[in-house]
Amino acid sequence: MFQKILIANRGEIALRVLRACRLLGVPAVVAYSEADRESLPVQLADEAICIGPADARRSYLSAPALISAAVVTGCDAIHPGYGFLSEDEGFAEVVKAHGLTFIGPPSQVLERFASKEGTRRLLAGHGLPTIPGSDGMLRDEVHALDEAERIGYPVLIKPSAGGGGKGMRMVRSPRELEAAMKVCRSEAKSAFGDDSLYLEKWIENNRHVEVQVVVDRYGHGVHLGDRDCSVQRRHQKIIEEAPTPALSPPARDDLAVRAIKAVVAAGYENLGTLEFLVDPDGNFYFIEINCRIQVEHPVTEMLTGIDMVVLQIRIAAGEPLGFSQADVAPRGHAIEFRINAEDAAHDFRPQTGVIEHYLAPGGPCVRMDSHLYAGYEIPPYYDSLLGKLIVWGPDRTTAIARSRAALDELLVDGVVTNIPIHRALLVNEQFLAGRFTTNLIDRLGSAAFLTAATATAVASAGVAASAGSAAPSGTAAPSGTTSPASPSANATAEVRR
Amino acid sequence: MADRQRRATRRDDPAPPDDLEGSRDAVARRDDHDAIARLADELLPSLIAKLGATGLGEIEVREGDWKVRLRRPVDADGSPHGRRSTDRPSRAQPGHAGHGHAPAAVESRPRSGGSAAGPSAGSGAGPGRGLTPVGPGPATGSGEPGASGPGDESNRVVATSPAVGVFQPRREMTAGTRVRAGDRIGIVDVLGVPQEVVAPVDGVIGASYVQAGEAVEYGQELVRIELAGPRPIEPPAEAMAGAKGAEEA
Repeated sequence: MFQKILIANRGEIALRVLRACRLLGVPAVVAYSEADRESLPVQLADEAICIGPADARRSYLSAPALISAAVVTGCDAIHPGYGFLSEDEGFAEVVKAHGLTFIGPPSQVLERFASKEGTRRLLAGHGLPTIPGSDGMLRDEVHALDEAERIGYPVLIKPSAGGGGKGMRMVRSPRELEAAMKVCRSEAKSAFGDDSLYLEKWIENNRHVEVQVVVDRYGHGVHLGDRDCSVQRRHQKIIEEAPTPALSPPARDDLAVRAIKAVVAAGYENLGTLEFLVDPDGNFYFIEINCRIQVEHPVTEMLTGIDMVVLQIRIAAGEPLGFSQADVAPRGHAIEFRINAEDAAHDFRPQTGVIEHYLAPGGPCVRMDSHLYAGYEIPPYYDSLLGKLIVWGPDRTTAIARSRAALDELLVDGVVTNIPIHRALLVNEQFLAGRFTTNLIDRLGSAAFLTAATATAVASAGVAASAGSAAPSGTAAPSGTTSPASPSANATAEVRR
Repeated sequence: MADRQRRATRRDDPAPPDDLEGSRDAVARRDDHDAIARLADELLPSLIAKLGATGLGEIEVREGDWKVRLRRPVDADGSPHGRRSTDRPSRAQPGHAGHGHAPAAVESRPRSGGSAAGPSAGSGAGPGRGLTPVGPGPATGSGEPGASGPGDESNRVVATSPAVGVFQPRREMTAGTRVRAGDRIGIVDVLGVPQEVVAPVDGVIGASYVQAGEAVEYGQELVRIELAGPRPIEPPAEAMAGAKGAEEA
């Protein structure tokens, strides 16, 4: 085991890793930027070291600052958390070159899985279905029409370079394809300096389901089940739950087993998450792998009872997995709510401010992972995640009931949060029925979504009080926004974390 | 401009910590040159591309007895572009914290004894504020700088660390040395890459809060600069007497 671990991250995940270190009896040093001097992980750490100014490029994203901090504090390992440098194979390589251990996949493994396209080909070769697409880049319109015919409409036109929805169009017919190709080419050309395009099958009404895997250095791997991350806004997950309501137990098992087989065969190591799009018929398509601990890992921890960060550190230290698939027995249902400092009634605008009051909810099977405290000032430099509420129940209905009570108890004063949208989701019929897709919120627009939910709540009981902070009905979004999903909805691959 | 050139030449004078050139015979040298040429052709282009793509400061590759280390000068603000011309405070603004790297950490006290109201020197952004400062020796323990009397505060400006690393003062920069804003008073070694510690204002080198070879964090107070005042400032007897020495001065 390591002598001392540098935690190269901030916020709730820094705290989460610190807790794992405590459990392992390994001293931890929290590396922080000047903006996080007063943060909870810094206050609770065994040691803390300032690595740079608020600007993440000069602190949490600065490999020299982080490695130097590890060296001068006598750490022999660095935990990157999620985001920042957590999947940067170059960073992992330099960490290793300085005689330190990167807590995550080794750099050569990260490199192998660095390219999305390469990873899809690699894992397709090990039996994972991927989204059908054109055979290479589109040469011209005739080629495009032939390929689209073969794949089957609707198809998504995607630029080879870049992302973020630029140069992407979903088309439903040959005529639309012909028209859209010119636009996409010129958009791609101006945005990325490269106008090569390819086609991908458009998965309508998709759901986002992922499989958690863990593989030790010796090639022993198990899956820890799936998570459903279909509740998103603008391709950012806001609720995750497990198991997915989208698939039957045998189908879930099939998915997880194929995922773990493929990654073990492909030589993966450490914790990882394989993301899939699932279509309404239950067909699944591999889109990408996340080579790190994820924001939503507690959902899996609640189901399996496995401390995943501890496990991750042990595996990075070279310890064997120590258990087999038969020992993994997921139980019940868990839901995670990401509590963000953002205004759901106004387009999820990020908020900053000072937390005046903070009260974490309690009760059976309620877990709150957060770095908040009364008096904490939310710095404007980083993402808006304030914490995660995770609730478990023996079944989905109980988990939802407990979640309602917990969300009502949760108090975050001083800054606008997205708690209203969570409350709105818990009265949304599609969510309650488990029939939602990734465009559940975006289809309506968040303001309209809140309003609709309030109306439902008023109609169905006195639950309205709990959604009291929902948007006033005057802010209903224009009805025109109920168009089908935007073309980039297929780009769930771009969902970070 | 002239200043800049002068300092640009000066910055090369201390040998980098890991400078490795002994004397060797001609055969060894030729072999080395051959190896270098080969590595340069095969390896360097891809390494350079990689360095550029990752935003890392340094890449090291080993092959046989050979080791190639590519480093880009990480300037005081950690951004990878060259640091020669941009990271020094302008002389036109003595005492101004326009130094990109540690704005909050350069504590410039008002001259007119108003500091009595301030709770302690460490209350701004100094490392004394962190609950568990790491690396610094006892001289910079929390609250220590605040121990100096209020009378000293009015003339107190502190050169702070531009990065996490190991502090090495320049030998000639002993207490009592007169410096001008922008003068290099030492380096912080970040994994073998020196980052300059500069005097934030014109003045006289005062107490050091950190010993040579000690680990320091970003923004940590390193060396006190006494502003040129009406009376000559007595240098503290020992650099490491730190705030205590200054108190007695």
